[in-house]
Amino acid sequence: MSTIKAKITQMRTSYHFKFSKGFLISMVLLLVACNGDNNSSATTSNETVSTQTEFYPQRPVRVIVPFGPGGLADVTMRVAGEELSKTLGQAIVIENHPGAGGVAATSTMLNAAADGYTLIVLTNGTTIAESQFDDLPYKITTDLRPISALAWFDLVLLTSPDSGLDTLQAVLDRAHSNPNGIRIATINPGSTQHLSAELFKTRAGIQATVISYRSTPDVLGALLRQEVDLVIDGYTGLKGAIDGGQALPVAVTGAERNPAMPNVPTVQEAGVADYVVTGWNAVYTHSATPDFIVAKLNEVFLAVTALPAIKMQFSELGVEARGSTPDEIQQRLLADIVKWREVMVASNLIEK
Amino acid sequence: MWFFSACLFRHLVLDMDTLLNLSLGFQQALTPEALLYCLLGVTLGTVVGVLPGIGTLTTISLCLPLTLNLDPLLGLIMLAGIFYGAQYGGSITSILLNVPGSAPSAVTCLDGYQMTKHGRAGVALFVTTIASFIGGSFAIVLMILFAPVLADFAVSFSAADYFAIMLLALTAASTLAIGSPLKGLSMVMLGLVLGLVGTDINSGQFRFTFGFPALADGINLAALAMGLFGVSEILTNLVSGDLPQLVNARITFRSMIPTKLDIQQFWGACTRGTLLGSFVGMLPGTGPTIAAFMAYALEKKVAVEPARFGRGAIEGVVAPEAANNASVQAAFIPTMTLGIPGDAIMAVMIGGLLIHGITPGPQLINENPELFWGVVASFWVGNILLLILNLPLIGVWVKLLSIPYRVLFPAVLFLICIGVYSINNSSFDVLLTFIFGIVGFWFNRHGFPSAPLLLGFVLGPMLEENFRRALLLANGDLLTFVQRPVSLLFLVITLVLLVTAIVSSSLLANRRSI
Repeated sequence: MSTIKAKITQMRTSYHFKFSKGFLISMVLLLVACNGDNNSSATTSNETVSTQTEFYPQRPVRVIVPFGPGGLADVTMRVAGEELSKTLGQAIVIENHPGAGGVAATSTMLNAAADGYTLIVLTNGTTIAESQFDDLPYKITTDLRPISALAWFDLVLLTSPDSGLDTLQAVLDRAHSNPNGIRIATINPGSTQHLSAELFKTRAGIQATVISYRSTPDVLGALLRQEVDLVIDGYTGLKGAIDGGQALPVAVTGAERNPAMPNVPTVQEAGVADYVVTGWNAVYTHSATPDFIVAKLNEVFLAVTALPAIKMQFSELGVEARGSTPDEIQQRLLADIVKWREVMVASNLIEK
Repeated sequence: MWFFSACLFRHLVLDMDTLLNLSLGFQQALTPEALLYCLLGVTLGTVVGVLPGIGTLTTISLCLPLTLNLDPLLGLIMLAGIFYGAQYGGSITSILLNVPGSAPSAVTCLDGYQMTKHGRAGVALFVTTIASFIGGSFAIVLMILFAPVLADFAVSFSAADYFAIMLLALTAASTLAIGSPLKGLSMVMLGLVLGLVGTDINSGQFRFTFGFPALADGINLAALAMGLFGVSEILTNLVSGDLPQLVNARITFRSMIPTKLDIQQFWGACTRGTLLGSFVGMLPGTGPTIAAFMAYALEKKVAVEPARFGRGAIEGVVAPEAANNASVQAAFIPTMTLGIPGDAIMAVMIGGLLIHGITPGPQLINENPELFWGVVASFWVGNILLLILNLPLIGVWVKLLSIPYRVLFPAVLFLICIGVYSINNSSFDVLLTFIFGIVGFWFNRHGFPSAPLLLGFVLGPMLEENFRRALLLANGDLLTFVQRPVSLLFLVITLVLLVTAIVSSSLLANRRSI
């Protein structure tokens, strides 16, 4: 009796085992397929590039995002990627190489062939990393070639609705009257948010302690506990908190008001002269990429960012979809490198 | 106290609403489509958990684009299924091979593998499955009944409170060591030092990165855990030459049945693990690894015979497994009710919702009740599916041990490489894994336990960060740590622990000298 039972168990287990082995193998294949094509394009020689000239793109285009999935750069690129693949007739494959100021991401892009099949998303964070890292293995200003801007966005200055600070002026008044100044919460040092807070301190001429947190949710938690007076962060991550009445927007950092919050003044309107911070995401590629590919990509990005559906989806995320000429975004990149380097030196983040 | 009973009362009054909401949730979660995606998620999660190195974050990131064209509820049900499903699978290789499927189950190796060595692999897998189910289910009930209150409670914890909790956890870490306390302590210290590598959260300066940009974000936890526990175990087995012949390939159902004594020990450990895991899981920024380690330390502290731990104590398997499942389920409480995700994995899921134009926040529960309650109901469905899936599979998993090592080891190494690489698409991390593998091999040979190192590594950065943030917030006043009730409470517990440890060890020494 017991031997029969054991046999049945054995049979059953061996059957299950086959099933699970098949599953293991397919899982491995899936992962290999997702990651394995990393260096394959590096072997493409220049001859093959020239034969492809009229027919770009003939295979999927990789876009490297220097952040993890779910962030603003990732989400906007994925949303635009859907439309891009329709226009280009090829899949857009998004690859996340998060961390280390985008160094890993940029190196990966530069290791691929300059054939227009590997693009990268740069952000104003890239211009900060340029000064933050001592010896980068590449030169961001010359090794990369601009294609187009993709998204533009401002940051929001928020207070707690229970703090009584319902205008930017009230915040400034508290900073002047309190001997220790105010506390500003942002995400990690060296982020656009953090440097924007440092810049705000200088331009507003106030005493303030900038306190760093790991992530936007942590920053929101600090505001809910009222352990800080002011938060400077992006609109996207805090939209839920604003709609839900957890956080009160008192100003936006752009040159113009944010269409998502037409009643909220800009920092300049609220009385701090000469303070504008606009973040951007743009698409770059290898500097040796042929002109016609860059021209074609620029045309496609301009078309996609002009689509009403994309404009609407982006504005729901609190960002503006707007393409640019390669030159326009390159000028912006160069100017931001200078701008943030000054802020970093002034706030002792780097030595001169 | 009054406040708390008022809250309870309010919730009892709202009970009818809760039932209505739940029935709405189950209507959403029991559609054939929802069931299919839930099954898909938990199955994938189990597989991901079983495969060493391949982590939840990677899998969810890979699956996120697939959910973009799905209904947001179905997408979230699937992604969440992967998340909690992986906690079930993670312990399997810990128990059978001493190679953790993911970082949270590293602690399960300590006693789980010993149980396998004693021929009790079937029992170990059986009790972890049951403990996982109980831990997960309890946290779901908490979420249904008290989510808004608990979320407010969890978010009220400030930097000083976190510091005190982390200090308590670190003190408990000393109990993780088996053998020389000095070696255990030095491993904690080493873990703290390794945790310093990366960008300093306050000044933005790079510390101990030695010019490698890849170290700017610190050492990858998976690389460290897989190196110290996975690669080193394989090296140790290869060098020692006598590969353990652990199984008798025939696993009958009877061999999985726990003894009476097992069952007695099970309930206490499971309850403590569940409660601890639910608490830790609710706090944003902690996560299952810390929950599992703390639960293990607690078990060893309350045990009548602490010496049994590290030698196949069933509580050392049950409590961490109950705790890590409770913690991943409880992590949804602040995520879903306040829009404050507990960790990176939750943040990815929120990103998925954002793409659909849904912003998690306090208004989610009112604006999208179908989504909120549908997901909550699916948790339960998913946990039941996991139970049904995992119990019959135990026999299959134990079969793994009958695969010849010359086939199994290369396969495990291969999976570890893929898994670690895929987290950041970084070959540097793979290199680190092997360096830590060799270091861990050396540790194994010389009796240095790796578990305290891992806990020091996880807690160190949080301890430092919260200490400095608390001081910044208090304008440098150290009294802030005793002025806040929560922080004071945990500091007192820490002190009591330390004093009793010192007193009992000196008593022991006295008795010996007499």
